[in-house]
Formats: sequence, structure tokens, C-alpha cells
Amino acid sequence: MTSNVAAASEALKALVAAPISVMEVCGTHTVSIFRSGIRSLLPPQLRLVSGPGCPVCVTDQGEIDCALSLLETGAVVAAYGDMFRVPGKSGSLASKRSAGFDARLVTSASDVLAIAEKEPRKEVVFLAVGFETTAPATAALVLEASARNIANLSVLSFHKRTPPALKALSADPSLALSGFLLPGHVSVILGHEPFRFLSDLHGIPAVIAGFDPEQIMLGLVTIALQKRKGEAALRSVYGQAVRPEGNTKARELMESVFISRDASWRGLGVLLDSGLALRDGFSRFDAEKRFELSCAPGEAPAGCRCGEVLTGRIAPTECPLFRTACTPVSPVGPCMVSGEGTCGAYFRYHRANGGKR
Amino acid sequence: MNSVTLGHGSGGRQSHELVEALLEGFRKRNIGPELEDAALLRGGYAMTVDGFTVSPRKFPGGDIGHLCVCGCANDLAVRGASPDFLGIGLIIEEGFPAGELAEYMESAAATCESLGMTLAAGDTKVVPSGAVDGVYFSGSAFGKVHTAHPLGMSNIQEGDALIVSTSIGRHGAAIAAARFNLSVDGLESDCAPLWPVVKNILPFEGLRCMRDCTRGGLGTVLCEWAESANLHISLDESSIPVEDTVRSLCDVLGFDPLYMACEGCVALAVSSASAREVLGTLRKSPLCGDAAIIGSVFRGEPRGMVSMKTSIGGERLVDMPFGELLPRIC
Amino acid sequence: MCLAIPHVIQEILDEKKAVALAGAVRTEIRTDLVDSLSPGDTVLVHAGFAIEKLSPSDSEELLVLWEEVRSFAGATLRDTSTHDDV
Repeated sequence: MTSNVAAASEALKALVAAPISVMEVCGTHTVSIFRSGIRSLLPPQLRLVSGPGCPVCVTDQGEIDCALSLLETGAVVAAYGDMFRVPGKSGSLASKRSAGFDARLVTSASDVLAIAEKEPRKEVVFLAVGFETTAPATAALVLEASARNIANLSVLSFHKRTPPALKALSADPSLALSGFLLPGHVSVILGHEPFRFLSDLHGIPAVIAGFDPEQIMLGLVTIALQKRKGEAALRSVYGQAVRPEGNTKARELMESVFISRDASWRGLGVLLDSGLALRDGFSRFDAEKRFELSCAPGEAPAGCRCGEVLTGRIAPTECPLFRTACTPVSPVGPCMVSGEGTCGAYFRYHRANGGKR
Repeated sequence: MNSVTLGHGSGGRQSHELVEALLEGFRKRNIGPELEDAALLRGGYAMTVDGFTVSPRKFPGGDIGHLCVCGCANDLAVRGASPDFLGIGLIIEEGFPAGELAEYMESAAATCESLGMTLAAGDTKVVPSGAVDGVYFSGSAFGKVHTAHPLGMSNIQEGDALIVSTSIGRHGAAIAAARFNLSVDGLESDCAPLWPVVKNILPFEGLRCMRDCTRGGLGTVLCEWAESANLHISLDESSIPVEDTVRSLCDVLGFDPLYMACEGCVALAVSSASAREVLGTLRKSPLCGDAAIIGSVFRGEPRGMVSMKTSIGGERLVDMPFGELLPRIC
Repeated sequence: MCLAIPHVIQEILDEKKAVALAGAVRTEIRTDLVDSLSPGDTVLVHAGFAIEKLSPSDSEELLVLWEEVRSFAGATLRDTSTHDDV
């Protein structure tokens, strides 16, 4: 065990007396926590709740169905790997690709430009999903496509903004949280200010942390320390990457291309100003306008309680579909699709502990 | 399962689903196979069948011809059989360059020669343009078993040690690097014949079973063993050899080295008494300098599962990957 | 939502592209989002785009934070001596 991690583990044991719940907002934190085995190093009174910071998990079903409908027109739909197995009503990008439609996996928005240039006779649509860490890259893509007059490229933007989701969560009095572990890389872009309301308005300690085990443990100790001292402040332990003012250039690029609009989040419903849509000046690159799509919010599949799992209200085991109709091999909702989403992770532990948690 | 997807071919849980579905007719007639890399036949021989559709066909460390021979020979080797005879079936797309085909066959021939393996049978089919991606190799291999007792996962018992013969994930990482246009200095497929390594440890009585860690990687093999034996396998993450090149590639694409394919790496289960000696013997082979003991088999909970003590001293479960390994940005 | 890895800039290609090294992986990255980069700089790269220049990881601030952690761990650590310090 690294000595820092051991120290943090001991510090948490010393600091956390009464049971507390801390929400780790970001899906990447969820994965890192799982992979490094951090949960086994936490005192039992410290409960970690996975929040809605997984863009795959909060993608509304209607949005997925919209993307799938584009495939059926013969367009190339390019997306990050994370999106490939998210289920809509009629399948997923992966299943559509198996059926012969042209779904392409990309690891960068710049790959999409290359595809559009190489195949000028095809419509190339970028299924843009992600939070503020990812949206600036999409903005850069749109700006370049515009500057170079690329005629066959468009973006289906389902980018979402993080602060509105946190506002919705923290306004819910039934959600008894003692702290928020905030997403380090979204904060790289946004800086500290957009998250300050958590501590200053709601009195909940909020700490920005990076993604290696030491960062996560340090973030948790910082929250526990504040709790112990009866403080509630926004802090960052990720000074190496996060400037208090964030990345101004990235934000400017994002703001020049995107305007905020209402968006539907699985589990949270419609949140005002929580989505990013292309500004009017870039309409020709907006796939929704170009293809005259209406991406209405879909209904969650019958019985799926993904939303309540995402907001930490119930454990996956309380969803009637968990392990029956909904398994990693045949997921119903995105919580089970995402590699280490709350339900996927629970599935493993549930098997191991014979159903106890 | 309504139709077959790429996920069914990736070596994790979905592949199991496909295999079980395919074997139903055979199983109910009691003429189905055991689920090992090669089959032990009456008369002291072993046999295997394997298909090769790798893309790109040429990769750092080898090509599809070399891979075909190694893949088949290694399936035999891990059941204690020498790579004696090979059959190759080619399915070739119309228009495929003859020169390229000759290169792959030359590669296969050279590998056979190094192993003392004879090409005993072959077949070719040419299909219309677009029906296959270039060329697919199908291999079948046959060889004499050189162990006194059959090797197989049914031998695994409480107290056994788990060993891996070399660093993991090099083949999968090399292929991913080629597929996603990442240049990784020093990253090469580990594609290599295992018989020269394996034959030296066959005499050990404590040798329970071996497996070639191909699709789905080391993680999948160990999960299969734990499930089949209904025992608990516990791993020590820090002991599992992973090269920096593989680690970097996995960091960039968001992969877990445990699930990256290998083509020259054997996982072994051995009695705890023989573990040190087996390790010592393995390490004498030039390809296995980094062989390591990586874990043990226990009787307790969680039964049928694999757990791992992580490099930071925590503990977590290791499960089989679900379907295709996809790069992530989240 | 944010897998991002440190990369060291090797070569600036133009105002939007650079060659960078992440461990052993050499790749071309986009630099649209970060100004004034030079070879030798370490940047955080997410989905092929640099999102920030990284400052050194052993900052004063971080050392102070860890000191405080150790002070709380101190009492319990002194009792248990079975952990190996790596």
C-alpha cells in the first residue's frame, strides 16, 4: 500500500464516526474507485454514492433512438466507444453495426473530420456526448468544419452541463449527503465558481479531486475533515490541473459554438439550461436541423428505476429489474450498460456477497 | 440471443453464450467437447481447431500466418501435446494479392519448421469480393500428448498457485495501437510458440492445467477457472507482469490490461509445493524471463469468483469482460 | 466523464496540432484549447485534445494537505505496523 493511501485510510477511520454519505459525481471517479479497490479501504460508516456524472448513463433514450434513426438513412454515425452499447428502443450503435449500418468508433472529435474528408459523398454525423470536459473539443471540430467549408459533416449534440444536475440534486431535501467529490476534469474547464453554491448555499462540503487513488483518498479525507470541523467549503486538491478560473480559452470556444437549452436527463427529468445546442450561426452543422429530427425524450423502459439509482435514492438491488430482466449481457437501462456504472458494479458485488450488500 | 454480434466473438461472457448455444445439439447427444483449448482424444493424442481473422493482418511482432501456426500449436501445448501436425483452411477474397498470400504462407511455413510441425492437410476456397475481409485462416492441429495424467481445469484444487509465463496483454495492445493509429515504441505482439517453453514443465506432477490467454486475456481465463472449479482465486495485482508499453496504451484508450489478448502467454495452475520449481524452470526460457506467481486458489467466499489485492492495497473483484473491449473517453 | 492522461509535448506541428508522448505512446494531439505550448510541457489530454497545461505534482499546497492527513492518521498508524510502505 502506498504510504499516502494508507495514511488517508487511517485518517478516514479516525475522522468518520457517524454514518455519512458522499456522492462521487463523476463516472470516471466511479471506475477509478472500483479498479483501485478503494472501497475496501474506507471505514464502513463512509458510504459512497455514485452520482449522475456519467454522460452515457444519463443519455435519454429518445436521444439514442434519434442517433439510431440517422444510421438507417445511410449516414455514417461516429461516436466514442462509451456510447456503442447504450440501448435505445430499437437497439444500440453496436447492434446496428452488426446489422450492417455504418456506426464508427472514434477516439477523438478530430477523427470525424478525417472521415468526412475521406468520404465526401457520405453524410457524416458526430454523436457528441459528454460534459464540459468534452464539449470544447466538439466546438473546435465545428469551428474547423466551418472554416474549411466541409459540406458533409454535422453534429448531433447531446452534450450536457454538470452544474444544473448538481443544483437539482442538492435542492432535493431527501438526498442526505455529507459531501460531494467533484469531477476533476470538468473543473479543469469550468474552474471552481460553478460549484461554489454547493457549499455556500447548501452547506455541503465539496471537494474537487483528480482520478488517481491518492487524489480520490485525499479528496475524501478533505471532505471528512470539513465535516468534523463543521465547515462547508469548496476546495480543490487537484491544483496541478485545475485553475480556480478554469480554462478560459476552452470555455470561450465552447460558448462561441454552443448555447444552452433544456435537456432531459435519465433519472432527473428535464433540467433547465442543462444541455448544449449549436448556435444558429452553425445550423448547417446541426444534425437535428439538417435531418429535421425531433429528438423527443423517450420513456424509460417499463420498470427501470435507473433514475433513482443515479440520484442515489435507491440501491440497484431495490430495482425490480436488477439481475432479472436487466443484466450486463442484456442491459435495460444505461446504468447497467456503462462498464462500471452503479448497477454494473453492484452486479459483481451482489454475486460475490450472495445478495447481501 | 437473436443474432450473433461482435461481442460474441470477444472472448468474455458473451462468447460463452454463443458457444453454449452452438453446442446444444451436441451436448444433448453426449457427443460434445470439453471446454479446454484442445481436446484429449483416445489413444493419447490431442486436437484443436482455431480461426484467424486478425486485422490488420500484419502487425508489430508477426502476421496472420505466424499467428495461425502459433495459435494452433499453443492450444495443443497447453494440454501437454507436441505440435506434430497442422491443417490450414484458407478462405480468400476474390482479388486478394497472390504475393501477400505467399508471404503469410511463408511465415506459417517458417514457424512450422521451428516447431518441427508438418503441414498435413489444407484447403482453399475463393469467395466473391466483399464476402470476407481479405483472407481468413482456419487451423486444425493434432499432436501426441506427453503427460502421464490429463491436464485440465477439473484438476484445480484449494491451495494451488497461479503462474503466468510472461507479461500480459502485448498482442491485444499491439493490435489496438495499429487499429487506432497510435505509435508505441517497443510494443510488439507476444505472438510466439509455447511448446518450447511448456515441454520443460510437463514432467512436474504438480502441474494441474494450463491455458493460452487469447481473447479476453488473463482475466477471462482465471474467471473461467474459478467458475469451473467453484473455488475462489485471489490475485496480487503487483505481481502480474505488465510492460510499460502495454500500460501506457491501456491508459490512453481506457483499457484494463487484464482483458487484453495475449498470443504467447500461458496461465498455469500448479500445486503450491511445485510452484517455485515450475517458476524457475519457466524463467530459464528466453521468452519467460518475467514469469511470475500471481495468486492462489482458496476454498472460501467468494466461491467461483476472482478477487484481486490491488496495487494500493485495496481489494476488488475481477469479472469477465462483457463483449467487445471498447476504448472509452469517460 | 473524463478520462484524461498526462502527455509530454514533443513537437509543435502548427497552432492546432502537436506530437506528444504519454508514457510509451506517441500520438498527434489537438492543441486548440490550450495556448502557448512548447516541447517539454506536460498537458492533460482528453479524447485527443489537450485541455490544460499541468503544473508540477509535488506542489507545496499538496504537501501541506498530505501533512494534515498524516497528522490524523498518526495515532492509528502507530498502533498497526503490518503495512509495508512502498
